[in-house]
Amino acid sequence: MNNLKWYYPETIREATDLISKEKVIPHASGTNLLLRNLKKINGFVNLSNLPLHYTKKEDNEIEFGSMLTYNEIISELKKIDKENILVKSLINSADTPLRNRITIGGSIALAPPWSDIIGALLILDAKIILAGKNKGEFLIEEFLNTPKLKQKSLITGIKFKLSKWKTFSYRNIRTKKDMPAFHIVEMLKINKHKIQDCKIIVTGTVNRYDQIIKVENYLKNKTINSIDFSKIEQLVNVKFSGKRFTDPEYSSKLAGIEVSRGIKKLVGI
Amino acid sequence: MKNLKTIGKSKKKIDALSLATGTSKFTDDYDVKNPLFVSFLYSPYAHAEILNIDDKVAKEINGVVDILHYKNVTNQKLHTTAGQGYPEPSPYDTLLFDSKMRYVGDRVAAVIAESKKIADDAVKKIKVEYKKLTPVFNSEKALQKDAPRIHGEERFMPIPVKYEPENNLAAEVEIGFGDIDKGEKEADFIFENKYSTHYASHAAIEPHSVITHFDEMGRLVIITSTQVPFHVRRIVSKVLEYPLSKIRVIKPRIGGGFGGKQEVFLEPIAALITIKHKRPTKIILSRKEVFQSSRTRHPMKIKLKTGVKNNGEITFLNMHALLNTGAYGSHALTIVSNAGSKTLPFFNKIKNIHFLGQSAYTNLPVGGAYRGYGATQGYFALNQQIDIITRKLNLDILEYIKKWHIKTGETSEVFKALGEGTEGVTQIIHSCEIDKCIDQGAKEIDWYNKRDKKITTNEDTVRGVGIGFSMQGSGIPLIDMGSASMKMNDDGSFNLFVGATDIGTGSDTILSQIAAEVLGVSLDKIIVFSSDTDWTPFDVGAYASSTTYVSGTAVKKCAEKIKKQILEVATQMLDTKEKNLSVADEKITDTTTNQSVTLGEIGEYTLYTKDQFQVQASASNVPKLSPPPFIAQFAEVEVDKKTGEIKIIKFVSAVDCGVALNPKLAEGQIEGAAVNGICYALTENYKFSKSGKLTNQTFNDYKIWTANDLPEMKTIIVESDEKTGPFGAKSVGEIGINGPLPAIANAIYDAVGVRLYHAPFTAEKIYSELLKK
Amino acid sequence: MKEKFIINGKEKYLTFDADERLVTSLRNNGFKEVKNGCLEGECGACMILLDDKPVHSCQIFTASVINKNIQTVKGIGDLHFPHIIQNAFVEAGAVQCGFCTPGFIIAAYALLKENSNPTENEIKRAIDGNLCRCTGYVKIIDAIKNASKTIQKEKVEL
Repeated sequence: MNNLKWYYPETIREATDLISKEKVIPHASGTNLLLRNLKKINGFVNLSNLPLHYTKKEDNEIEFGSMLTYNEIISELKKIDKENILVKSLINSADTPLRNRITIGGSIALAPPWSDIIGALLILDAKIILAGKNKGEFLIEEFLNTPKLKQKSLITGIKFKLSKWKTFSYRNIRTKKDMPAFHIVEMLKINKHKIQDCKIIVTGTVNRYDQIIKVENYLKNKTINSIDFSKIEQLVNVKFSGKRFTDPEYSSKLAGIEVSRGIKKLVGI
Repeated sequence: MKNLKTIGKSKKKIDALSLATGTSKFTDDYDVKNPLFVSFLYSPYAHAEILNIDDKVAKEINGVVDILHYKNVTNQKLHTTAGQGYPEPSPYDTLLFDSKMRYVGDRVAAVIAESKKIADDAVKKIKVEYKKLTPVFNSEKALQKDAPRIHGEERFMPIPVKYEPENNLAAEVEIGFGDIDKGEKEADFIFENKYSTHYASHAAIEPHSVITHFDEMGRLVIITSTQVPFHVRRIVSKVLEYPLSKIRVIKPRIGGGFGGKQEVFLEPIAALITIKHKRPTKIILSRKEVFQSSRTRHPMKIKLKTGVKNNGEITFLNMHALLNTGAYGSHALTIVSNAGSKTLPFFNKIKNIHFLGQSAYTNLPVGGAYRGYGATQGYFALNQQIDIITRKLNLDILEYIKKWHIKTGETSEVFKALGEGTEGVTQIIHSCEIDKCIDQGAKEIDWYNKRDKKITTNEDTVRGVGIGFSMQGSGIPLIDMGSASMKMNDDGSFNLFVGATDIGTGSDTILSQIAAEVLGVSLDKIIVFSSDTDWTPFDVGAYASSTTYVSGTAVKKCAEKIKKQILEVATQMLDTKEKNLSVADEKITDTTTNQSVTLGEIGEYTLYTKDQFQVQASASNVPKLSPPPFIAQFAEVEVDKKTGEIKIIKFVSAVDCGVALNPKLAEGQIEGAAVNGICYALTENYKFSKSGKLTNQTFNDYKIWTANDLPEMKTIIVESDEKTGPFGAKSVGEIGINGPLPAIANAIYDAVGVRLYHAPFTAEKIYSELLKK
Repeated sequence: MKEKFIINGKEKYLTFDADERLVTSLRNNGFKEVKNGCLEGECGACMILLDDKPVHSCQIFTASVINKNIQTVKGIGDLHFPHIIQNAFVEAGAVQCGFCTPGFIIAAYALLKENSNPTENEIKRAIDGNLCRCTGYVKIIDAIKNASKTIQKEKVEL
């Protein structure tokens, strides 16, 4: 029998105090924690009683409490912006019962390579709101690249700006219920048959994620009719480890093709 | 069929509501008091000698009761885990605990503890000293002279067939007739191709489970998720040298089998523990253990050489099937035999045939029975070969199959030449409606508007259609045996006891329907009880597509005996002659006087009134034949020429299973098998590391489909009347899995001209083949 | 640990370990209708409703859902008072081995409660967390369609 202790704080302050203890960690829905070696953990701080099930919309910015589940986010966001890249990224993630359980907070905190949420948050330049030792708001990119931020801190929410950009999501999966080998997200701002701006991110690569800057640069200020889609395929050139049962070279080719197809779809050709 | 009340109707499966409300009990749902729990230590090496096991530290853990391994389980008996008839046609090459490890996942030791957690923890504390040996994974290499040797000479086959463990040869069977050389000379074209199929898991959703305990009379009770309760009783008795009379095997509800639960590899261990410690024992495998250390579909390599005349006549066929049986030879002989025996009679006009089936031991997971049983592998090769031949000769493949297949009234020399690893049984085909299957299936898939049309749906995708035909069998003739007994109750209801094993197939329902039909009663008047070795008569179990045909006939015979007794009583009660009686609507009527007695009145009369006796009977059935069901399956696929990705658009199965005794249940068998076959063709596969470790032993990584992946599915039942079967029935359980693999391969060729000789058909594989074009 | 839960509408105290999964606690406390097929959140045999939402009970620490509302397949209908959906599964031939069936009933119930007239695609999506190896799903989809018709016809509130 191990000595795992459960805590049920009612306030964020209580929760952050608890997680500052040795080997005591936050528990959102537990789907990732189940895979951990529990012998190395002394306590779980159950976050479900905290006021983190909220949605806030101010002007052009939306904020979600970290304890919202994937399905809750999808249904909330659909009401406001059904084309949002976060909706498209999460709507086919995992399966119905898991989307009912997985929270955005837990998902960001433990973000595995196959995470469906990270690409969307990166492309949205989302901010992660932390309480505790590192209280504050951090761009997702900074959050992901600064593991120390997680220490003794609690993700309480995310926020990002709404936009009218066109969005595209592609998950490379073997069956409909699969963790993607890689996930492509694209956003495009088109004005009068011209691409004004664009952003493309592939997650699940050897670098964990790659922004496809070469393609972005190629596309910026290009008129739709002058896009060479085979050129996009070649410009993508992302690398994969092949750990997830797919030949890395094939995945690389496929990522190129699908990035290009995404753009094609977004520009309506 | 004339005037049938119950047969041919989609009666509700009698256990369905109990299952749908979570009421029925599966093995793990039985509560036993204070059971012992078991965890296994498995070999991390594919091939190794155990030099020493040190279990001291593990044994000292609080709550650990015992640790079993080769050093302390003495006087072990070689046996096979294959739950087949006796003597089993599988090599005796297995010990409960061996000192040699033959694959990653081979059983090293069992920890017995007061809780599963304690047992799991203690497993990690066992210290094992291994001497690593060179492994061999490839079936061809395993048969070469210099290959590492996996089994010792003391291994043996309990039946007189070729078996050479010193050469890693787990089985060999060879037959031939005619003259291959002559056939070669007569041929205008010769086609020679190599095909291969891959490893797969049965993936029954209920993991293998067993509970053992002593009942209040001190008899050993085994509750187990098995397809073969009577074989379990025999094998446990023989392996443990424990009196068979003191063993009772109970089969509760079973959460799917597909062949995977035709293996007796846990029951002897649980029984051994209960006998030794006089306490209940519970073994429930984890999903990982099911993938790694239960049984699998054998991979097979098939070399197929055929000569063909310009008119399409096949002048000879030479098949060499090489099965990779993994570390142990469970079903190694019979499955490789079936790759020939189920495929070669299909085109029965071939005069010159040679078949060589071999099974090689390797250091990979153990093969076993799996729905389709070698036919699946064999038809993958044969169907593609026919697709290749007809394309080369510019013949319509559907017309070709219709022209050359075995017909009603015909036979094939193969039936006699090749049975279950030994000689088979001569038989004439009494029913075959595959022509109708082909016609109706082709119509449903819209074959002639799609074949060779390369219909494009966008700039990168193109569609194609393909066919997979096959035949199976209905039980093993002269070997399988099913039996039933019945008794009549006061109210005209009947208890039906069958050894037949319902593993979710619906056999309890089908067998009740047969009894109800014979006796002219409604289905709810039949109270069925199955598969308890103490209470029901013998049956070999649920395998070889045998239950409806073999056990069903036993039930029919038994019910007819009951009916005879009832009629005799009715003649007394109505004071008439038997010939005047008619049986219908739960009454016996004297047609001359129109007087009648109800079955309830007869029941009361026989039990309480005069010359009292129990209306009861029993009957057994050993089939003389194994009439094959036939099927034509069609796939429509869409291939992405740029990425190699493939989507199944529609899948059609048209099956001749004789009379479908319960059409909905028959369709369910075909649909389940077809979807299993489709995911086997596309996404299911065992992946191994270089050292032979299975790397995808979770549902997360071993992909079987959900409903969300389904294409449009259509099942057509084309009835025929099999005179030798109960109410015209043949089998339907396995055949549906044979078609998807070749139908999809042929459809991919139709779409993009890529021939996939090696399954599964992943996007990467199609992509790289497309690049080669 | 010993904590209160509301299971099938009744208060119930479960005894469980701190690191225990809900499927194990439920089964250990007599709710054997919750099946255990994989412990990895893939097969759906252990599906239950947690505050009316279908979830894999093997993917949940029991201690994380104390005081919550849990419904098993027996809470939807039992042998004596089966639910329309359960009857529909029986009628359609959607039950073969039946090991996965309680999970499918849960998923179907959650779907039809939210949407009594789902499309075929919505049905397929709603049962994307359940594996069945016997039926090939065809008759399960039929059953849910039929249940949907009955529910609409009889104007049943789930």
